[in-house]
Amino acid sequence: QLMDKAGPRWKKGKDGKDFAALAAAHPMSSIVAELQSSLKGSKLVATLSNQGRDATLGVNLQQATLLNRAAFGRALDNAEAGKQWFQLGAEEVFYLYHGLKCISVSESKKLLSEGELWDHLCSASESFPEMYKAYSHLRSKNWVVRSGLQYGADFVAYRHHPALVHSEFAVVVVPEGVEFGGRCGRLKVWSDLLCALRASGSVAKTLLVLTVSSSICELSSPDCLEQLVVHERTITRWIAQQCREQRCEPSREEPNNEEQDHTRETVVFNYWGVILGFTVLSSLLVYKLRF
Amino acid sequence: RSMAAASRDRRRRGRAPGAASAAAAVEDDGEEHHLNPFLSDAAPTSSRVQFRCVLSALLLRLICLLLLPVRLWIVQRVALHMLWSRNVASRARWVEEAGAAEVLDSKGKLWLTTGVTRGGKLYYNVEEIGFLAERGALIFLDDEGGTIGMEEIYGKIAGGKYGCSWDAFQAYKHLKLLGYIIGRYAVPWTMKNNPTCETTDSLERMPDTDQSFNRADGVHNGITKLLKEMHIDGLHPSFEVYLPNSKFRKSSPGAPCFLLSMLRDKPPSRDELETIESKCDGIPLKFCQVDNGRVSFLSFDKVRLPSLP
Repeated sequence: QLMDKAGPRWKKGKDGKDFAALAAAHPMSSIVAELQSSLKGSKLVATLSNQGRDATLGVNLQQATLLNRAAFGRALDNAEAGKQWFQLGAEEVFYLYHGLKCISVSESKKLLSEGELWDHLCSASESFPEMYKAYSHLRSKNWVVRSGLQYGADFVAYRHHPALVHSEFAVVVVPEGVEFGGRCGRLKVWSDLLCALRASGSVAKTLLVLTVSSSICELSSPDCLEQLVVHERTITRWIAQQCREQRCEPSREEPNNEEQDHTRETVVFNYWGVILGFTVLSSLLVYKLRF
Repeated sequence: RSMAAASRDRRRRGRAPGAASAAAAVEDDGEEHHLNPFLSDAAPTSSRVQFRCVLSALLLRLICLLLLPVRLWIVQRVALHMLWSRNVASRARWVEEAGAAEVLDSKGKLWLTTGVTRGGKLYYNVEEIGFLAERGALIFLDDEGGTIGMEEIYGKIAGGKYGCSWDAFQAYKHLKLLGYIIGRYAVPWTMKNNPTCETTDSLERMPDTDQSFNRADGVHNGITKLLKEMHIDGLHPSFEVYLPNSKFRKSSPGAPCFLLSMLRDKPPSRDELETIESKCDGIPLKFCQVDNGRVSFLSFDKVRLPSLP
């Protein structure tokens, strides 16, 4: 089932028109490609924090704009002129390093190899392999992926820059298979699943579950990433009453019954009067505000 | 709120060029405010126009929100009134071998969308019996002609021997009260009596074709077969659900709007989901979770996120 039915909710600019055209003029794939070649050319090195998962990266102003546009990292307010500093999360660092191959990473002044970087990130966070696989799965399809922790999810996914469009998905990553050990995976009990569903619904996002399954036995090197498979499913709530209302055709009314018709007409007449009056008054108010 | 944020933006931009996306102005509701790195700083804010647009949009949404419950209330009252009418009580007699009740006389139009026909006779299964009896629309009799009370009816449902469970009954009731038309999965609405006659029902979905038994001996076999399948993988849809439709005919019901599968004590695994989906033949699948009588419906749809430009 292709996910285009609802359509993205574009934000609006000051002229009242939505940003769909602006996003179309700047496809994410070209922004990322430009970022990749620019960073590669400068041979930049990100500095990884010792115990943690974050890294800092200094870039020039043009690269800063590209990082912002591609929604990687967060700019750090800094008085230094001519150079911009960014803070990158674990998945972002590894994506720039391993996915786009456009930066190097050092820790305690020592350049890290691919294996060392992978080990460092995995030891800082047990779930890094599946989180990164999900992150790179979405980024490689040119979705913008940011942390979703404030919404009770692992990630939030946007069709383009978060300033241009509301995010459609709250993403929860679920590892599947013995290779992932005794992790406390998400969504294994109803209270957790319904909690995730409610949290995402309250911020108008669809819950997207990415199940990462493995056919090999070890996650000790980034080579395992090729073997991991991502399965996409959404969990949505269906309201029986609303569906009935929205998909109604005139023929769907219950079988007509003489006694029932009379009651129905009286009820309908009384309440439509109220509703009509209310609608008219509110419409006048709206009209007055708009013009 | 938008005015305060706009002036905050202007101060930020004044400080350092390129700091345009230090987007960390988190507002009280937790929704981040993102600065737009695609626009120049030239355009001044016209916040009053913005404010008016936002307010009128909010007002429109409020109107729609208020209208919906009132309309729903009206529709449900109408549905309930039809169901509570006292002079449409039917009579049905329990037939143990069939695991169902044979309808002796039926009043009103409920029979158009309830019960299955076998060999010209109408039969109600346990969830239908329970639903109708609760509404006072059924007089339920045993072999001797004595009335069977609610306690025994609930016992038959909860016992699980007749192809229904307590949770499934809650789901059935919830949808039936909203006017949906519900039948058991893979149980034809109507069948001919002749056991040698092969089924010509084009909507038949059971894998084997010797389904042409009548309700009295056939349904028992049908239920046994389903119960056996349940033991093997326990995973199949429970009901076929059709939208409310005054023109519904058991002789040609069409494809259901969706199939409904009951959820159990834990969320389904990916394997379980795929097993049930394989039995759906392309018809949409929904799941029902019952928590202490509260019925909710979920979909676990497989999707494929598009590759974006």
